[in-house]
Amino acid sequence: MLWLSDWWAAYQSTLAFSMVNAFFALSSYAVMATGILSFATVAFAAAGGFLGVQLLAVFGVPVWLALPAAALAGCVASVAVSLIFLRLESHWLALASLALILITRILVLNSPALTGGVNGLSVPVEAPLWLLALLLAGTALVFWRLSSSWYGIAACAVREDPAVASSLGIAPKRVQLVAFAISGGVGGLGGVLLAMVLQFISPETYYINIAFTMIAAVVLGGSYHWAGAIVGALVFTALPVLMQALVPAVQDVANGLALLVIMIVLPRGLVDPRAWRARQAAK
Amino acid sequence: MQLLLEQVVNGCAIGSLYGLFAIGFGLVFATLGILNAAHGTYASFAAIAGYYAATSAGLPFIASTSVGVAAGAALAVMVDQVAFQPLRHRKAGMIGALITSIAFWMILDRLAGLATGEQSLSFPAGTYPGGTWMVGSLPLPQMQVVAIVSLIVVAAGVHWLIAHSRLGAAMRAVGWNEAAAQIAGVNPRLVILATAALAGATSALAGVLAGISTNNVSASLGEGMLLKGFAAVVVGGYEDVRGAAIAGLGLGIAEVLSAQYISTSMRDAITYALLLGFLVLRPRGLFGRVSFVRA
Amino acid sequence: MLNLQGVGKSFGGVHAVSDLSFAIRRGSVAGLMGPNGAGKTTVINLITGLLPADRGVVTLDGASLAGLPPQDIAAHGIGRTYQNVRLFSGMTALEQVVAGCFLRRDTGLLASFLGTPAARRAASATRACAMALLDRVGMGHRAHVLAEALSYGEQRRIEIARALGSGPKLLLLDEPTAGMNASESEVIGRLLHELRDAGLTILMVEHNMRLVSDFCDHVAVMSFGRKLTEGTPAACMAHPSVQEAYFGSKDNAPRC
Repeated sequence: MLWLSDWWAAYQSTLAFSMVNAFFALSSYAVMATGILSFATVAFAAAGGFLGVQLLAVFGVPVWLALPAAALAGCVASVAVSLIFLRLESHWLALASLALILITRILVLNSPALTGGVNGLSVPVEAPLWLLALLLAGTALVFWRLSSSWYGIAACAVREDPAVASSLGIAPKRVQLVAFAISGGVGGLGGVLLAMVLQFISPETYYINIAFTMIAAVVLGGSYHWAGAIVGALVFTALPVLMQALVPAVQDVANGLALLVIMIVLPRGLVDPRAWRARQAAK
Repeated sequence: MQLLLEQVVNGCAIGSLYGLFAIGFGLVFATLGILNAAHGTYASFAAIAGYYAATSAGLPFIASTSVGVAAGAALAVMVDQVAFQPLRHRKAGMIGALITSIAFWMILDRLAGLATGEQSLSFPAGTYPGGTWMVGSLPLPQMQVVAIVSLIVVAAGVHWLIAHSRLGAAMRAVGWNEAAAQIAGVNPRLVILATAALAGATSALAGVLAGISTNNVSASLGEGMLLKGFAAVVVGGYEDVRGAAIAGLGLGIAEVLSAQYISTSMRDAITYALLLGFLVLRPRGLFGRVSFVRA
Repeated sequence: MLNLQGVGKSFGGVHAVSDLSFAIRRGSVAGLMGPNGAGKTTVINLITGLLPADRGVVTLDGASLAGLPPQDIAAHGIGRTYQNVRLFSGMTALEQVVAGCFLRRDTGLLASFLGTPAARRAASATRACAMALLDRVGMGHRAHVLAEALSYGEQRRIEIARALGSGPKLLLLDEPTAGMNASESEVIGRLLHELRDAGLTILMVEHNMRLVSDFCDHVAVMSFGRKLTEGTPAACMAHPSVQEAYFGSKDNAPRC
């Protein structure tokens, strides 16, 4: 049994990070499911992260209160942002959301009273694995429920063809606004959980790398089903760890190659409901 | 007044590099519909290739710059064929290509690190025009003049190419609707290759010149260019080359002046505040028009 | 019921539709005919709000639809199909129709968030309703098949079922039998008969003269964005300018 505990010790943090990344991936999946490519999750995560850590560290708020507060902060930020973003066309929205990440970092750097500026903030509370798992399961439950509700069908319709959706009475922008609100809530929660896993946050914590990680995770896992986001986050977090063990000198190159090959071989991702259905139909 | 003028010239020179890079980055976005995260690495590799051409092979400035530009163009074509071509017929859309470009970014960034031995190299004196001309009492470093002239020539050339040449018409056609362009007798594969090479070469030129004038030939060169070039494309609009060029210049000037007269720490804040302002007020960039949206 | 008054739309100088007026009575089947490029589909897009009209007003039961977004016009009771079938890819036939039933949802967002029993009951009621619509168009047995795996004629029927999902008062059909073989057209024809008998008001754009003369109470003919004439199908087809628009000149027209 000794090898098991060794293995556990070595990979515990990988598991924690993959669960945190799953929140980010679910957050970007929420908007992608309505046909929007947005990197804004990182900004929502920063809003939730810095607010949550302030509450925990400075005001001594208990965890069970700080977590919903962080989610709410992300949600408020996302609704505010989406009011501007939803006026943009898809390509511009993608660019604008990247710009938002850069702007967020500058804001964080220049308001040290709230964020600790360059020095960052240390986080007094650690997130136990069971808490991460519980919250992730709860979030997944909400996504599962939503996917079979009228909202899920409407989101899918808006993603496939917004003009047709609108002639069925579905207001595309309203559905996308809801998607942003969900994305913000989940992203804010992920932001504070990341802080609690890292035990330290700075302007660099919520930066471009998260954006690319989460989008890659969603696309890798499959952007047509919520489970894809979770699977993708797991694979995309475990992959670098694996590569580090196998080829430490060129692990980034190996990661990149793996991502490239998976994308070219499986462009719809690992979890693809259409493939299941096609198989079902063939039977 | 003297200081202000000097700083404006500085700003124009830096801005020219941003503009040059943004022309290439925007061209790929407008014509091929790809948000290319690997684009910055073309600039890094161009600077690295130029550096080795100047130091190891002892080539003069024009020749080593050409080597860098050729390397950038070749790299752009290679990345396009490996990372983007397989996705083109699958309706993977912008997201698929973005992911493969991120993959190449990771790979090339690391390889650039290996190529420079994880450090920042600088072109030795004598491998580039390092002198300074005086216009009255205003000093004009030759490299800055080279940068500004390059931007003007390249922007005018690319604008002419797109707006008035046959290749440009074909590029616009492919950017609009590849299938329709093919029916109209345009070979999309060839146009895509030409666009990728042109975009790679333009950004590579920015990379070599930036590598020389900032004394920083490394992987981080491309990353910086990518962020600023991206900002220039958002402000200037990607549908028009002139927009990216002017926005790049403007960003450079704003950056230098705000660092001089406000504070260094606010330099990036101002760039991105401009970015945000444009997004809200003029979401399609300087030369943007309301496009025809199909119902 | 539906009234168009002086409606016009131009695209960069090209007048796709100019000064078009016509009315549709409740419970009637109206036809809109004209050669390709006459602006028929543009008219449908103007009525459903996918395109904003430059001039003129569209009213439904006396209420102006001007400036309303498509989803609000749909909520007023107008459903439509498309000239090239536009189903959502990746959805099964049943899900398409469930999406069409969007306006019938009666649970709040929060309830579906939490998956309350009421929300689940509502969801299964919607599915039952969608299933009934599929049966109505004779596609119940294909409910769980991906739409893109269905034949063209079947896709058309799914699209009609989807449009019926919102419970429209007025159904706009854009070339319901375009590209179909005779037996497929026959099936659609029977379906339209049933819908008309059930009291639905229908406006259809159609080239199939037989279908038009079989079904339509009233026909308007367009050419180059203008209305040439309107009246009963037989009167319209006999009209000289209609024959000229379709066949070049009166002499080229087939004698019947």
